[in-house]
Amino acid sequence: MVFYILRRLLFLPLALFGVSLLVFTMIGFLSPYQRLATFINNPERLKGENVDKLISQYGLDDPIFIQYLRWLKNVFRGNLGWSYVGKGPVFEVILERFPYTLELTIFSVIPIIFLGISLGVISALHHNRVVDHALRIFAVVGWSFPDFVFGLMVLMVFYSALGWFPPGNLSIWAETVVKSPVFRHITGMLTFDALLNGRLDIFWDALRHLLGPIFTLTYVELAFILRITRSSMLEVLQRDYVRTARAKGLSEKVVINKHARRNALIPVATVSGQTVVGLLAGTVIVETIFNRTGLGSFMALAAQQLDYASIMGGTLFFGLILILGNLCVDVSYAFIDPRVRLE
Amino acid sequence: MKRETRRLLKKFFSNFSACLGFVLLVFFFIVAVGAPYIAPPKSARDPYMMPIVTWSSNPLPPSPEHPFGVAGKRDIFYGVVWGTRTAFRIGIIVTVVSTLIGLAVGSIAGYFGKLVDEILMRITDIFMAIPFLVAAIVLATILGAGLDKVIIALIVFSWMYSARLVRGNILQVKEEQFVMAARALGVSDFMIILRHVLPNSIFPVLIQASMRMGSLVITAAALSFLGIGAPQGYADWGALLNYARNWMMGSQGEALRYWYMTVFPGVAMVLFVLAWNLVGDALRDVFDPRLRM
Amino acid sequence: MLQKNLLEVRDLRVYFYSDEKRELKAVDGVSFSVGKGETLALVGESGCGKSVTSMAILRLVDSKGKITGGEVIFDGQNLLLLPESRMREIRGKDIAMIFQEPASALNPVYTIGEQILEAIMLHQKLSPSRAKEVALEMLRLVGIPEPEKRLNEYPHELSGGMKQRAMIAMALSCRPQLLIADEPTTSLDVTIQAQILELIRELQKKLGMALILITHDLGIVADMAERVVVMYAGKVVEEGNRFEIFKNPFHPYTVGLLRSIPRLDVERKKLDTIPGVVPEPSSFPVGCRFRGRCNFETGECVQEPPRTSLSNTHAVYCHHWEKVRDSNAEVLKECRAQ
Repeated sequence: MVFYILRRLLFLPLALFGVSLLVFTMIGFLSPYQRLATFINNPERLKGENVDKLISQYGLDDPIFIQYLRWLKNVFRGNLGWSYVGKGPVFEVILERFPYTLELTIFSVIPIIFLGISLGVISALHHNRVVDHALRIFAVVGWSFPDFVFGLMVLMVFYSALGWFPPGNLSIWAETVVKSPVFRHITGMLTFDALLNGRLDIFWDALRHLLGPIFTLTYVELAFILRITRSSMLEVLQRDYVRTARAKGLSEKVVINKHARRNALIPVATVSGQTVVGLLAGTVIVETIFNRTGLGSFMALAAQQLDYASIMGGTLFFGLILILGNLCVDVSYAFIDPRVRLE
Repeated sequence: MKRETRRLLKKFFSNFSACLGFVLLVFFFIVAVGAPYIAPPKSARDPYMMPIVTWSSNPLPPSPEHPFGVAGKRDIFYGVVWGTRTAFRIGIIVTVVSTLIGLAVGSIAGYFGKLVDEILMRITDIFMAIPFLVAAIVLATILGAGLDKVIIALIVFSWMYSARLVRGNILQVKEEQFVMAARALGVSDFMIILRHVLPNSIFPVLIQASMRMGSLVITAAALSFLGIGAPQGYADWGALLNYARNWMMGSQGEALRYWYMTVFPGVAMVLFVLAWNLVGDALRDVFDPRLRM
Repeated sequence: MLQKNLLEVRDLRVYFYSDEKRELKAVDGVSFSVGKGETLALVGESGCGKSVTSMAILRLVDSKGKITGGEVIFDGQNLLLLPESRMREIRGKDIAMIFQEPASALNPVYTIGEQILEAIMLHQKLSPSRAKEVALEMLRLVGIPEPEKRLNEYPHELSGGMKQRAMIAMALSCRPQLLIADEPTTSLDVTIQAQILELIRELQKKLGMALILITHDLGIVADMAERVVVMYAGKVVEEGNRFEIFKNPFHPYTVGLLRSIPRLDVERKKLDTIPGVVPEPSSFPVGCRFRGRCNFETGECVQEPPRTSLSNTHAVYCHHWEKVRDSNAEVLKECRAQ
């Protein structure tokens, strides 16, 4: 297994290299003028004849290949460039925003997986009865809901009409506290930091701002886990070992909760892992709609403004998360299913 | 063969949700085809550009003249009707082209195996290592405004799924007895793939494609929702929803005042995606009961 | 037969309902009995309702099927009338079962030990350490080497024969009075088959339990069973002790089954086979269900065949059993003449 992990990790730099090459090629379609803007952190310098001088100074008219090598050299020096959107070095901006996205992911994954599995099991146990049909409709509609449509509706109903789930990260009063020097930043995630600082009021405020996005992501993502759990449970209930368990005299509750569910959850675990990884990289829309700070909204902004240092850095970071995340999913598989041997 | 087809058709239509999906698709198809009659263009210029109907940028509620109301100076009804065409165009072109690319890449990887396979699959991995939406945003922005740019951006980042599926199928079928038998008879590998392997993987690929249609349309709409892709005023559901963003808060004492800006294009999108998902789901049930969900 | 019967199945009916709500009579009026410590073989081709009968004894017919009639008297009580909780106490404790495919009958995600202990702790209310001793003892009893190690292994780490031994250990861990073995050796290699059968026979003697052996293999029946019930298409067609069935089969189906075993002692040019297959439950013929595959068929066979008692133990359900007897005698004569 150590061998397997090492082999997969060996592929990591290669993949990241590929990702950067791919994104850089796409950026190569832009004219040097468009790209120049992202090199300059002071718009005052972008005036008149300065532009051509700057283009040759930064080598933006060099062949794309040379430019890529130059970017790569900087990366090896630990310099990912200057983020125009985030107003800081790319690396720092990403590290600062990632905890927000991670926090949203952590809070959303809990209801997604918990509800997805329980509803899926309920659906399977009521196979082809009313409850099952209702849950299937619920799931397929959720699955068909674009996150931005559902998000807009959530905002409309739960914020503007009922005033429950406000957008943003924090209320103004809480933000002044968080930005003051007395508030220690430990994890970068507001709810956890608030708890660590012993500020329950801020914890509650941060959580309240998280509810809208959590609700949206839960409904939209839940469907997939529900469907997998249901079909997997239905399949497992037909298996011989379930019959064996019944023949032993176990009660139906034990048969289902112990013998059937444990097996049915094997494929669900993989899908849940993929959901977590997908959420980390898939909160672009939700963060944008709910006006939240985070890696997703940052990437959307960077892409729209063609802030290419941020785009390069961000895609590399996402690539890293996706590849490491999928590796974790595959490795955890071996722990859940004793039959799996990683080679 | 004919009897088999009839049996499968019967099975497909005996499923309620499959029928619902099919009826919805037919409905959207009629709307798309009949768009010039349902919502006649006001002028001779590009009918896909929603005409400007008022001079105030305030939204107007539904009225006999504008049954779905007015958003961003444009008639929502017109946008929803012509947006159906946009959705079909994006969905079908992207699905067909990306599936064909995937089919080619997957067959080559599965057929040649070894080094070629390794290289192609690593390239596939690299394309998959960038989140789909982020990749589409970046490429669509770089290419500039225009529906064709959106389509290209979506194709570039969605061929990998069918490639993987086809490759997996080829590797699996390669081990089957009937392929071994054909090989023992001296049939060339190329003919084997053409005659035995591809026909066997065509249904899974089609099913996967129809199920991907929904998510492609969602992504395309997400792009125009973010203001990327379709040009200003283009008939597109995502673009209509973009107008709604600034009016989310409603007005004093009347929080849901601008509901129509979200609800009409939103419902159109949900139903369109739902239709494809239901049909894809039912197709899978019919052809591969093992994967039943 | 002075001994009181341990299990008595009377007129058992199990019907399945297809998606189109058609009634499929998978088991239709089956009766037989098993005495204490006795071995009964339930014989027939696949699809004849043997497995469904055995599952019905434990009331574990799957959700599409329903026990629609009859009685299952075990130890003086009708199992079909017991509340589910009482039935659960009987399953695994008084009546245990082993299945055809040990590979799929054992839960892949739990160790052998966990699965055996589960049954012991459930029925015997022992402390975990004491239960573990019992489990180890059972594993030793079924001849699994290094039982301490095996206890912590997962099913996939054991060979097919070892899995079936573990399965037997699990079934016998509560010393049941009746063991139902559903094709226990079909999926195993021939040499292992013999070992497992020997093991079952030995344990049966040691623990004094009754055995219902479900099989299509008459070789195994000749080896193991004292009494035989031959089933065809959901009905009993002939029953008797081993000697009666093998020497004087009076039902054409039993004769067909016996003739299709390869034998070394009688010279025959070609192996006889029964033409056709068991029909689907949806197309069982009216009257005698063997009609259509039978050489002795006449117009009479559309009537339900009567039960003819030939001895205390031997009974046959056929209109033409006398003709079958005569034809058997002729065949025998021919063989002798050769």
